[in-house]
Amino acid sequence: MDNVASLMHGFSVALTTHHILLMMAGVLLGILVGVLPGLGAPNGVSLMLPLTFSMDPVSAIILLTSLYWGALFGGSTTSILFNIPGEPSSVATTFDGHPMAKQGRATEALSFAFLSAGFGAMAGVVLITLLSGWVASFALRFSSPEYFAVYFMTFASFIGLGGASPFKTIVSMGIGFALTSVGMDSVSGNIRLTYDFDILLGGISFLIAVIGLFGIGELLQTMEEGLKFDGVAAKVRVRDVLSTAAKMPRYWFALLRSSLIGIWMGITPGGPTAASFMSYAMAKRSSRSPERFGKGEPEGVIAPETADHAAGSAAMLPMLALGIPGSATAAVMMGGLMIWGLNPGPTLFTDRPDFVWGLIASMYLGNVVAVIVVLATVPLFASILRIPFAIIGPIIVLVCFTGAFTVGSKVFDIWLALLFGLVGYVFKKLDYPIAPLVLAMVIGDKAEDAFRQSMIFSQGSLSIFWSNPLVSTLMAIGLVLLFAPLIGMAIRRLRGREVTRAA
Amino acid sequence: MMRTTRLAGFAACFILAGAGAAQAWQPTKPVEFVVTSGAGGGTDNFARMIQSIITKNKLIDQPIVVVNKGGGSGAEGYLHGKAGKSDPHRVIFGTNNAYLLPLVAKLGYRLSDLTPVSALALDEFILWVKGDAPYADAKSYLDAVKAKPMGFKMGGSQSKDTDQTLTSMIQDATGAKMIYVPFQGGSAAAVQLAGGHIDSNVNNPNENIGQWKAGAVKPLCVFSPVRLAKGEPVFDGKGWGDIPTCKESGLPIETFQMPRTVWLPADVPADAVAFYEGVLEKVSQSPEWQEFVARTAQTGRFLKGKELADFVAKDEAANRKVFENEGWIVK
Amino acid sequence: MITRFWAETATALATLLFGVVIIYGALEFGVGWDSSGPQPGAFPFYIGCLIALASLATLVSTVSRRVAGHAALEAAFLDPPRARRVAAFLLPLIGFVLISVTLGMYVATILYLVFAMRFQGGYGWIRTLATAFGTAAAFYLALERFFQIGLLKGPLEPLLGL
Repeated sequence: MDNVASLMHGFSVALTTHHILLMMAGVLLGILVGVLPGLGAPNGVSLMLPLTFSMDPVSAIILLTSLYWGALFGGSTTSILFNIPGEPSSVATTFDGHPMAKQGRATEALSFAFLSAGFGAMAGVVLITLLSGWVASFALRFSSPEYFAVYFMTFASFIGLGGASPFKTIVSMGIGFALTSVGMDSVSGNIRLTYDFDILLGGISFLIAVIGLFGIGELLQTMEEGLKFDGVAAKVRVRDVLSTAAKMPRYWFALLRSSLIGIWMGITPGGPTAASFMSYAMAKRSSRSPERFGKGEPEGVIAPETADHAAGSAAMLPMLALGIPGSATAAVMMGGLMIWGLNPGPTLFTDRPDFVWGLIASMYLGNVVAVIVVLATVPLFASILRIPFAIIGPIIVLVCFTGAFTVGSKVFDIWLALLFGLVGYVFKKLDYPIAPLVLAMVIGDKAEDAFRQSMIFSQGSLSIFWSNPLVSTLMAIGLVLLFAPLIGMAIRRLRGREVTRAA
Repeated sequence: MMRTTRLAGFAACFILAGAGAAQAWQPTKPVEFVVTSGAGGGTDNFARMIQSIITKNKLIDQPIVVVNKGGGSGAEGYLHGKAGKSDPHRVIFGTNNAYLLPLVAKLGYRLSDLTPVSALALDEFILWVKGDAPYADAKSYLDAVKAKPMGFKMGGSQSKDTDQTLTSMIQDATGAKMIYVPFQGGSAAAVQLAGGHIDSNVNNPNENIGQWKAGAVKPLCVFSPVRLAKGEPVFDGKGWGDIPTCKESGLPIETFQMPRTVWLPADVPADAVAFYEGVLEKVSQSPEWQEFVARTAQTGRFLKGKELADFVAKDEAANRKVFENEGWIVK
Repeated sequence: MITRFWAETATALATLLFGVVIIYGALEFGVGWDSSGPQPGAFPFYIGCLIALASLATLVSTVSRRVAGHAALEAAFLDPPRARRVAAFLLPLIGFVLISVTLGMYVATILYLVFAMRFQGGYGWIRTLATAFGTAAAFYLALERFFQIGLLKGPLEPLLGL
């Protein structure tokens, strides 16, 4: 109950006109940042950081976190409308969100995305409010082997999704892994796979890959088919938003499961992007009609969005209580904390209750503000689709390449985006799945680092992955997820054989 | 009468000319601050703090744009500096990695591709163990490590970087042998120690202060020739100034400190170097900077010109010795 | 005409080459397993092998399906009308990238939009120019002015004093 009292105190800190205005400004800025691919939430937050130097810490963090929520929402918007994930964590939203938009259900898809995202964020904040102390001490039990087990679980959940040829899946995932090992290897201090090209030192940016594979690849495909955005000219009415909202309770189970996955990945070091992938995979696996996924299934939008936002807000907790940033954006905010004179750590909650609880209260308010603001923009965004493709197509191209350049201000990235665009197009035509490539790029290097750190811990013995109940449980779940599809397939085969024999 | 006015006129001319010479170079377009670490890292805080002080006190008329180029442990940022040859609008912020990285990795730049401007602070290193560990001082901990070779784990950030160098120096100085586990950053090493997954780390004060406040970790000794400034008590009535130096607690390493450095590309006008030296010197004297240095328990020390060159030469030689022993030097 | 068979084969060969390049890059470091676990090159090495082997498998299955006379493989990868549509989009795109890296992104933005709208979309000059310059101005204000991120500039912007 202490926490609830503190939260009430937090609301008294956060609930001022000044702060509400800051939230709205932050959310709007965030949507702008989120809509531009390449210019993601971490950039947005670090660009706003100098502005906050002269603010008091509570106002400053409210502005920055609101910007973060806005960016997450903005990222989903472009994912759904143009198949360009504005934020890395909204990649999984494209899988079903964009097909929905193509079928003329853009308003529905956007409303589902925003409402479920709001739900996920709320779930994350409620967790922070009620269980902050317990979660912080739980997170302390994680070391490299546990980290590896979490990444392993994420992969295992995704790998059995199937559909494509297993060889093509392996090629795609392998390429993702290979690309992520380019550059500095932090475990050995060696520079790998740069072939003496200095430009590769910084590695290959995941954002560039996503802009090319999804944005430009999709445009090429659309052009080839001579498609315009069919049926998108459907009118946007406020009623559509409301009727979608009325459908939300039907998906209560998906919302709940996705929130849990998101919270889990936000507290452990999985992060929002991995959370959205895993949640999508679990939704498809547990669905009674998995074949509808990828073709405009609402649950395929709800699951990744809920998990993404739940993870994004839950990641604030390890940042405040332990000083481990759960996401790239949290890392930038932590830099801000230092400059404002705050030290993240277990005692921050008691040393600076105004700041911590003001922030937590602002997360409730900020997300409500964000959902309202962003829902108000749905008609605006959906009407973009009514602009003729001869104009909007080239403008999307420009947004993609401008975004690619802003990632690291490198000319090389422009070429790279073009190359990834061609690869994305060919891969799509030849049924190479792209999702495994992206997932491997997101967590491949982290998984490798965690694995090799574990091996240094154990001096080369694999038994470390079964050395305590926590890591053993995680590994066991991972193995079950990995082999479940194979077992399922084997059972089906056996049954099939019996049937033929009987016949 | 006429003469005196003319003289005064001459004098005024000279004074103006003199002032003009000091003001010879001014940025004419936005200044780019290149940070050789990712957002949120130590170098990032260093650069952004300076940015905030310059902006607040209007020390540079042009806007300042911060870009993070932390790839390859910061090499990406220095290469960006090399690419900006003779461009005085590109200021690079780093540590001693500017001159140590090319020793341990095959990189496309050398120290001669950069112009040293100044160093503003020395970040300290402290030997930390878990808060409830049974060791009261550095000696008893290291004796325990010595008694069980490869039985203790030291955590740090990155490989072949300051933390591992210092670990290697400790092993040389004491004959102890331990496992070094490289993590992604100091904050990860701090949490791993608080969670009891490793036995010690050699984090900078600022990386561990959050955990020390909670009593989850405790400092044994500081690798500095003298004790740190007194400051506020942090935990259990003890503050930074109460930590003994390593030498006085029986670990014979005189000093190990990491300078926070500022560079320009090669071939920039000497006036431009003088301009940034002037700005940074003003920054280092500002109350905001003093407060930042004190809060992060760094040692404020402004170095430029010959002093800086001597420091770099000495620091490089000391590190090179360790690298050679460990076989990290690349040809 | 390119059939799907040739497209499959060429792609599999390309990924095979990619795998080999990764293996070659990984061999610079140890690929074994020492007292502190896998050496730095091990992970990329096995990934490279995996890519190469899976590419070979795709290659083999493609060829064997062709031998078995799979009709799908004889279908066109790109028939002429489709190829024309893709080229009409892709070539200006490549042109945009080339102009971007030589003359800067603002000039490229304007030229590309003018080309796409006036000569491909058939819009009037006024709407075309308004959109082209409007887009460039929007990028300039949002990125350069507001977020202080410079876009790639060419030789022309300094002449205009930007």
